[in-house]
Amino acid sequence: MKKSEPMSESYYYILLCLAKGANHGYGIMQMTESLSGGDVKIGSGTMYGATSNMMKKGWICEIMSDEPGVERRRLYKLTEEGREALRTEIARLSRMLENAQEV
Amino acid sequence: MARQYKTSYKAYSAWNYEKEIEDLNAASEQGWQLVKGGCFHSRFVKNPDVRYRYQIDYCSPDDIGRYIETFREQGWEYVNSTFNGWNYFRKPWDPALPEEEYEIFTDRESLREMNGRWVRFALGLGIALGLFTVIWIIRMILTPQLPILAQLIVYAAIAVMLLRGALIMRNPDSSKSRRGDGRLLAVYLLVVVLGTAATVWLGVARPGFNTNMISESLSEPMVDNRVNEFEVKYKDNYYIDLKIDAKAPFTFSIVDEAGEEVFTTTAEHFEESGIKQKLSKGHYWLSMSCDDGYDMNFSIE
Repeated sequence: MKKSEPMSESYYYILLCLAKGANHGYGIMQMTESLSGGDVKIGSGTMYGATSNMMKKGWICEIMSDEPGVERRRLYKLTEEGREALRTEIARLSRMLENAQEV
Repeated sequence: MARQYKTSYKAYSAWNYEKEIEDLNAASEQGWQLVKGGCFHSRFVKNPDVRYRYQIDYCSPDDIGRYIETFREQGWEYVNSTFNGWNYFRKPWDPALPEEEYEIFTDRESLREMNGRWVRFALGLGIALGLFTVIWIIRMILTPQLPILAQLIVYAAIAVMLLRGALIMRNPDSSKSRRGDGRLLAVYLLVVVLGTAATVWLGVARPGFNTNMISESLSEPMVDNRVNEFEVKYKDNYYIDLKIDAKAPFTFSIVDEAGEEVFTTTAEHFEESGIKQKLSKGHYWLSMSCDDGYDMNFSIE
């Protein structure tokens, strides 16, 4: 299997925020901030670039919300490949953490 | 009360866009709010009751709707985009908000990506113009003349400007240390504008004269300085194409205002193009003589 590149913090948090369900850009940003205790922020430029690139990679896709009140709102949804990429990254990070604990 | 507008003619280089943001923020604090941002001039409206913080992004988004929405979600108002892919955004300034709220790139990777987009553009165009510079150097060696030199300078100036910009922009940290080069940009732009104007003028002012004279048989020498006169507007190298087919030796000369022959040749058959001839400013005419029929073609550029 091809060795995957380490993910940037923004990519990682975006995928993580989508793991439990589709969300819009602003929701991802807020969730990232609360998950990281305010340490990680995703600005608009970073968000647009990361979502564009991950859509090209096929990790996420765009869907339209059908919830009442927020119809036609753009949401991002994790794809199977995206979920796999996130799993791989989490495995890589855990291994790194375990290694640190061994030393 | 009528709205008060002003236009600011200030050019910023791509690698100096942070300085432009600072200036927009300062203008907003003084009550001048950006209406339309541009590469060479920006328009402002007077409104002292609001204050904005600005950001500029270099991006040609695949999906402009999603792009603007992504910014709007975080409180950014889209102002406008320039023809060459720079997008202006603003957010009302709130002293209670932390400074990070006004950042649009929150990691090094995405900032590098944004800079990288411009670097790719600048390298592509810079290398193309570098190639033109080389071709124009070769043209200059083969047929030295001022219009080619002027155009060569324009190509070289743009190539150097873009390649230097690409090097600065490639490293996001260095762009901060190279801020004081607004004057250098002005010099480059001046060279480009004056060089382009010079290229056009020098090209138009060249004589571009040609004549064809045929005679079946003629015994009297002829000089016709009214028809066969041309004007040289500036001292330079000019290039002559001459073709003679005569039944007897044909003498062809170019004579200047003082009556001096600056070019002369005698032959029954002659054909050469691109003969280099240095000429000063002034009027010249052609002097020809032949004892028999001839066919002569002359042009000077």
